[in-house]
Amino acid sequence: MSLIDEDQALIASALKGSAYAWEKLVKRYELKIYNHGLRLTGNSSDAMDLMQEVFLGVYRNLHRFRGDAKFSSWIFRIAHNKAVDMNRRKRLMTSSPKFSTDDEGDEFEKFPGKKELEPEYRLGNIELNVRVLKMLSELSSDQRSIVELKVFQSLTFDEIAELQDISTNTAKTRFYSALKKLKVVSEKQNVLS
Amino acid sequence: MSCPKTHYLLQEYFSENLSAVARDELDRHLTDCVHCNAQLESVLLAQQDLQQWQEQRVPHWDRHLELFRQEHRIDRPVSRFWLSWQWLPTAASLAMLCVLLFNVNVISNDSGFSISFVGSSASGSNLNAQLADFEQAQRLEMQQLVARVEGRQDSTNVQLLQAVMEQAQQSTADSFDQMYAYFEQQRLLDLQDMRAGYEQLVDSDYETIRSLQQLVNYVGYQSDIR
Repeated sequence: MSLIDEDQALIASALKGSAYAWEKLVKRYELKIYNHGLRLTGNSSDAMDLMQEVFLGVYRNLHRFRGDAKFSSWIFRIAHNKAVDMNRRKRLMTSSPKFSTDDEGDEFEKFPGKKELEPEYRLGNIELNVRVLKMLSELSSDQRSIVELKVFQSLTFDEIAELQDISTNTAKTRFYSALKKLKVVSEKQNVLS
Repeated sequence: MSCPKTHYLLQEYFSENLSAVARDELDRHLTDCVHCNAQLESVLLAQQDLQQWQEQRVPHWDRHLELFRQEHRIDRPVSRFWLSWQWLPTAASLAMLCVLLFNVNVISNDSGFSISFVGSSASGSNLNAQLADFEQAQRLEMQQLVARVEGRQDSTNVQLLQAVMEQAQQSTADSFDQMYAYFEQQRLLDLQDMRAGYEQLVDSDYETIRSLQQLVNYVGYQSDIR
C-alpha cells in the first residue's frame, strides 16, 4: 500500500471515529509540520502553537478533503495559511519593526528582537540548526516561505505559485533572490566564524 | 566581469520543467561563462548550508485526541465481560451490610449448618461465656509460654556467666606465667651483665698492678745506675 493510499485509509477510518487512525495520521506528519513551524517562526513555542493550530484545522476540515490532491500538499496549504494568520496576529500584538523588503505583501515578520526569543536561546546546542535559523532570519517573510517550500518541502515552482497565489515566474524570482541573500549571509557567517 | 544572462539563467536553473534543449543550452553556458559558474557555485553552497538542518523531535502533546474522543463520544474501551459483571461488587457490599445489620450467625455442625439472626439475650450470654473461656485459655497459655521463656533465659545466662569466668581465669593464669618468665629472663640477663663487669674490673686491676711493678723496676734500675 502506498503512502497516499495509507493516508486515504487513515482519513476514512478517522472520519468514522477511529481515534487510533487519527493519532497515526497525526504522527505521520507532526515532525514535518513542527520543523516547518520551527524554521518559519524561529522558536519552539510558536512552532508548537502553529502545529497545534494546523492539526486542529486538519481535524475540523478532514471531511472536506476529497483526495484529488495529495494529503501532504493539503496539510501544508493549511500550515501555510495558519502561519500567515499567526504572523498577522503577532504583528498586531507586538510593535517590533517590520523587516525591510523589496517584495510587496510581507506575510511574515522578522524574528522577534528579544534576546531570549532568538534562535540560539530556543534551540539549545544544535549549532547547525541555529546557523540555518540565523540565515533564514535575514530573509523577508515571502523569501523565507518560498525557501521553506522549495528547499525543505521540495515543492515545484508551480505548486508554490498555486499555494501562494502568485505566478510561477514570481516564485522563481523570489527563490533566486532569496538564495543570493543567503549566499551573502553565509559568507558573512563564515568570515565571523 | 559580469554576465547579463546570469540572473535569468540561474533563476531557470532551479526550474523543474525546463526543456531538454534549454537545459543543454544552460549547461553549455555555465561551462563557458566563469561568472555564471561562480555565481551558481556560491548559491548552491548557500542552499547546501540550509540543507544541514537536523529534524528536531516534537515535544509531547496530546494530538487533539481528547477533543477527538469527546466529539466522537468515545469512552475508554471496556471489555464486555467486565460490563456484564459490573453489578457483582455492589451486590457483595449489600450482602455484607445485611450480615452486619441483622447480626447473622451461621453455625455448622454434624447435621449440617443453620443460619440464625442472633439477637436474643440467651445467645448473647452464650457468646460471652465462650469469650470468657477463650480468654482464660489464652491467659493460661500465655503464662506457660512466659514461664518457658524465663527458664530458658536463666539457663542461658548461667551458661554464659560460666563461660566468661572460665575465660577470665585462664587469661589470668596465662598472664602470671608470662610475667614470671619475663622476670626470670631479666634476672639471668642482669647476672650475665654483672659477671662481665666484674671480669672487666679484675682485668683492669691486673693491668694496674703490672704497670706499678714496671714502674718500681724502673725506679730501682735508675738508683742502681747512680
